[in-house]
Amino acid sequence: MLGPGIAWYLGVSAFLFGIGALGVLLRRNPLIVLLSLEIMLNGANLALIAFSRHAHNGAGQIFALSVMAVAASEVCVGLGLVVAIHRRRLELDVDSLSELRG
Amino acid sequence: MIAGAWICLFAPLAGTLAIALLGTRVPRAAAGWISTTSVFVAFGGALWSFVDLWSKGGHNGRTSTAWTWLESGGFKAGLEVLVDPLSTMMMLVVSGVSGLIVLYSIGYMHGDDEERRYFAYMSFFVFSMLLLVEGGNLLLLLAGWGLVGLSSYLLIGFWHERPTAVAAAKKAFVMNAFGDATMALAFFVLILHGGSLAFQTSFDNAANLSSTTVNLVALGLLGGAAAKSAQVPLHTWLPDAMEGPTPVSALIHAATMVTAGVYLIARTHPIFEFARTVELVAAGMGALTLLMAGLIALVQVDIKRVIAYSTMSQIGYMFLGAGIGAYANGMFHLMTHAFFKALLFMGAGVVIHALAGEQDIRNMRGIGAHLPRTKWMFLVASLALVGIFPFAGFFSKDSIISATLNLGWYGWIFWVVALLGTFLTGLYTFRLFFIVFTSDGEVRPHHETRGEGPWTMMLPVSILAVLSLVGGWIQFAPIWTPLTDWLAPVARTLDVAEPTSTQEWVTSALALAISLAGIGVAWLLYGARTRRETPRLPALQRTLEHKFYFDELYDAIFYKPAAALAAWWRRDIEESFILAAGPDLGETAFDTGRGVRRLQTGLLRTYVFFLGAGMAVLAVVFLLVK
Repeated sequence: MLGPGIAWYLGVSAFLFGIGALGVLLRRNPLIVLLSLEIMLNGANLALIAFSRHAHNGAGQIFALSVMAVAASEVCVGLGLVVAIHRRRLELDVDSLSELRG
Repeated sequence: MIAGAWICLFAPLAGTLAIALLGTRVPRAAAGWISTTSVFVAFGGALWSFVDLWSKGGHNGRTSTAWTWLESGGFKAGLEVLVDPLSTMMMLVVSGVSGLIVLYSIGYMHGDDEERRYFAYMSFFVFSMLLLVEGGNLLLLLAGWGLVGLSSYLLIGFWHERPTAVAAAKKAFVMNAFGDATMALAFFVLILHGGSLAFQTSFDNAANLSSTTVNLVALGLLGGAAAKSAQVPLHTWLPDAMEGPTPVSALIHAATMVTAGVYLIARTHPIFEFARTVELVAAGMGALTLLMAGLIALVQVDIKRVIAYSTMSQIGYMFLGAGIGAYANGMFHLMTHAFFKALLFMGAGVVIHALAGEQDIRNMRGIGAHLPRTKWMFLVASLALVGIFPFAGFFSKDSIISATLNLGWYGWIFWVVALLGTFLTGLYTFRLFFIVFTSDGEVRPHHETRGEGPWTMMLPVSILAVLSLVGGWIQFAPIWTPLTDWLAPVARTLDVAEPTSTQEWVTSALALAISLAGIGVAWLLYGARTRRETPRLPALQRTLEHKFYFDELYDAIFYKPAAALAAWWRRDIEESFILAAGPDLGETAFDTGRGVRRLQTGLLRTYVFFLGAGMAVLAVVFLLVK
């Protein structure tokens, strides 16, 4: 098989996932949080495709496609929320949306 | 003939529904007439079935099924009526006497606040009783059995503003429910072992049962019969049931419902014959009851209670007859008793009506002079009850007594007890008669009535007086026995319960002499101009006034422990534990909530962190375990 081994792909995938997770945890702008979510999902996709190729099994690729579809719809909802927040002239900061605090 | 039976069964129900559903749209007076008509229609139906059965020779009878009422696995019970000699006889007695008593009620209940409800109940009772006697299988019999208990409860408590009436109704219902339960258990055993509650099938199956099983079934049936018929030890409800209106006492607690136990024994006699010991227990119960009730009746001062105890005593005779196997004699006494006991109650009702509710015989002295017709009719009923030739009771009671003679040593005990009973009957009946009707006194009727009561009251009383006079002539053992022959296909008298004619004659003569002696003693003590002093036996008298302490005994055995247990649970469980636990539980929940709420930061990042951390921990655990 050509190209680098599976370990490299998984390394990149974990790296992307880590960056995404840190972004979700640390950033306060909802747009950036959504962006980071996308990065996490793509990290996961990369792992799926890598395994798929490694195992000569197409199921992982199909699964990645459906993850993309879910991601697209999730972004729609997320951006819709951002727009709604903006319209109500609220601060675009996820930490200020804390009505559920006990 | 089957159509007659169906009409007979459903006419009273139609009457009930008409009165209940039309409500205030029927005038109050009309309710009584609807009820009376419906019951007389039922009597017509009964007559039709009877004549038809008679013309066909009166054998075996037949069953008509309307539809399958219940089906469960192999068990099946239809809504069916049975027309055979026994059921037609009961139909005639029940609907005939009921018709007269409902007619009497029109006069008696006139002006009561809730006449409509009363007549709806009365019709409903007649329907239930007819269901009981016509039901073509044991399940329908049990349904009727339960429904008569219900209507009895409703009618005893009819004057629901009286606490005593309500208490009496509850007492009657609970004791009857006890009997219903034992009967239902017996039926469960029958279903378990035979899979059927049809009369003939279950009797055939009973032959194959072990003796323990068949004894259990018979005991269950006997429990039901004893509770319904107020036999010792399940009798305490009947005297209290006199709290109901007098026509109710006449109908339910004298003429019809309380005799259902005798009908049950006659109907299920094949089962009882396989359990002969239990059947003899029934006879013993009857003997004990007739003696005890006769003794208690001697000291009662409430006119209706005296008659109630006399009812218990007479049902004791019927139980004795049915228990030894002389079913026809028991049924014969049931019939004549329905006539003269209804008459006694209705005569008492006329007196009570005239005195505006007074029931204490000591306050009735002298009323006889104002109620001459009632006096004569009461005398007829009393003579019939005591069993003086040629009145009805003479024929029916003596044949029961003489039937005991061939049973061996316990037969002799029954015979002696029954003869003692006739003495008591004479004594208590004529004590009542002499005190109420012939003694001098100042009492006069409360309101000036035209005559002694409206014709609706006097007509049924007169008809019953005639029946009490001639009703016994249907059968005069050993000369002619049409009733025994009529019932023979269904309930043949056992050979041991067939007395020889010598025994019949001797017993009759003895019974007559002893009854007359009872009347004579009553006359000496209560009737004669120069009365003897009533003998004073304080201990005995106290025992009798407390009715042999049965109520006190049941109070001590059942009520007091239950009340004590309830009080204890209330104090140590309800109040100290359950009630106290409520606030504690609430406080604990509040405290926990206050602690846990700090976890809810409202910050998305903490939720995500915990989510991720949780996933990580799970992944690690998963890997380690694998």
